[in-house]
Amino acid sequence: MGTLVLRRLLASIPVLVLVTAGVFSLIHLTPGDPVEAMMGESQDPVAKEALRRQLGLDRPLYVQYAVWVGRVLQGDLGRSIRNNEPVVENIGRRIRPSIQLALFAMLISLTVAFPVGILSATHRNSPVDGLGTMFALFGICMPNFLIALLLIFVFGVSLRWLPISGYVDPLQDPLAGIRSLTLPAVTLGLALAAVITRTLRSSLLEVLSEDYVRTARAKGLADRLVIRRHALKNGLIPVVTLLGLQFGTLIGGAVITEYVFALPGVGRLVVDAIFSRDYPLVQGVILLISIGFILSNLVVDVVYGWLDPRIRYG
Amino acid sequence: MADTGVQRSGLRAPGAATLNAEHGARSFAPRPVRERRWVVVRRALSARLAPFGGLVVLLAVLAAIFAPLVSPYDPLQQDLARILAPPGGDHLLGTDNVGRDILARVIWGTRVSLVAGFVSVAIAAVVGSLLGLGAGFWGGRVDGGVMRLMDAILAFPPLVLALALGAVLGAGLTGVLIALGVVYTPTFARLMRGQVLTIKAREYVEAARVLGAPNWRIVRRHVLPNAATPIVVQASLSVAFAILAEASLSFLGLGIQPPEPSWGSMINAGRGYLQQAPWIVFGPGAALFVTVLGLNFVGDAVRDALDPRLRV
Repeated sequence: MGTLVLRRLLASIPVLVLVTAGVFSLIHLTPGDPVEAMMGESQDPVAKEALRRQLGLDRPLYVQYAVWVGRVLQGDLGRSIRNNEPVVENIGRRIRPSIQLALFAMLISLTVAFPVGILSATHRNSPVDGLGTMFALFGICMPNFLIALLLIFVFGVSLRWLPISGYVDPLQDPLAGIRSLTLPAVTLGLALAAVITRTLRSSLLEVLSEDYVRTARAKGLADRLVIRRHALKNGLIPVVTLLGLQFGTLIGGAVITEYVFALPGVGRLVVDAIFSRDYPLVQGVILLISIGFILSNLVVDVVYGWLDPRIRYG
Repeated sequence: MADTGVQRSGLRAPGAATLNAEHGARSFAPRPVRERRWVVVRRALSARLAPFGGLVVLLAVLAAIFAPLVSPYDPLQQDLARILAPPGGDHLLGTDNVGRDILARVIWGTRVSLVAGFVSVAIAAVVGSLLGLGAGFWGGRVDGGVMRLMDAILAFPPLVLALALGAVLGAGLTGVLIALGVVYTPTFARLMRGQVLTIKAREYVEAARVLGAPNWRIVRRHVLPNAATPIVVQASLSVAFAILAEASLSFLGLGIQPPEPSWGSMINAGRGYLQQAPWIVFGPGAALFVTVLGLNFVGDAVRDALDPRLRV
């Protein structure tokens, strides 16, 4: 197991180097002068020169990269051009709503996906399976922003049951907090539930046709027990992997969801930073998101190896 | 399609030869290429929802090509006397906040969505396949370098990477096409590399090498035709997701810029009028959903027809 962790960690190093190079070069991919792009209509040459120096753009490219990586390793992601606050502080303020949204969405998706996926697999080709498959297809084909607007239209505008924008911290006011996060979490959770349902159904179908399941049935075990004791345990392995790998989908979905529902999370921060051409902030947020993504993939690999020894020794 | 190259090369896949020897040439003799193509088309059409998907895609393609002929109005023409007109009468899907016909804008928006979907996937398929081919065929440092680069691209959440690239490349269709092309390239590169590694070890490639065939000939006549099937399947499944990604970028304001019609930007413009005029959102929303659904059915059918082992 230790070897697997070490192997995966070592394999992540070149990827991390390339990711940092990619994030670093974002600012240099901008057509024309990045300082001009960031300062927009401001014509003050002194301010432009100061910003150029602050970003280190007056030095050779390899020096800029080395200095930037050195600062990143010390936890310094630079300062936001918009509010001159450290990028880390900007992100720190926005991370709580995003984590709450992701956890709430995950909870909703699992609550929906497990019964639907299991019923679809155990009642293959029945109307129940048809409904389950339709639900999965609906979730996969509907973009997040469309689900969000439909929910806003039905539960916010027509029925007026839930707020359509804004954020209340559930840790300070649980009821108002949960109400403010319900529509965004359902938006994000439904898309995730669709993917999990599809995977769970197909992995359960595969397991249900295995010999040991037939044996369990042949010795007279009740269907419920066969599913719970034999099928579900093995059928869950791909779902565990999928859950970890959905981190990217959650972040991507959160960008749209937080934008539509005006939630002050990290996803919204990315969009705001891009529109205000705040490149240090864009670089910082994207770097942290990518490192989170790499780490989640690493954890998935390790957990998968732990669950399935064939992977560990393969 | 996969066997065409083997046929043309005059070398038969080793599996086929063994089966012929064991079970008699008649039952396992390879069918003529044209006949096998029809088998693939028949298999694709036999999928339950494929005809619906095919019809939707055909209608979308026709709408995109003949937009100037079938569009009832100019998509940019404002009619301030008919602001937020509900669906019906002269305006089948209603009008938006400046009196533009929603149906006309949905029809013209089809162009943007289809171009974004097909062109970005084509870019990714070509670039990714070439990179994967190089990595798989030459191996060593080329393989290591290319695949680490692909791993680095995959380390970014797709929408976040597309957003970042869209931001630096600037809003507009070109930026979207490049951004989505980059996002989807690693999938094709990995797929092609895997295929090439398998095919490279096959006996018919060894035979070609022994006969003195140069590398480019082996790649063109043996490797590429046999590696093409999963690439085609992946491409057909990716188009729908690329259309969704373009709509998401346009929705966030990084794709096609108003007043040019695109489904994502139309939906974004309509969200401020959900209470008074929900049809501004529902017209392009329905077009987007149905097109993506249709493309998914077609993609599934193509997958089932070309590689029934992958059937879910």
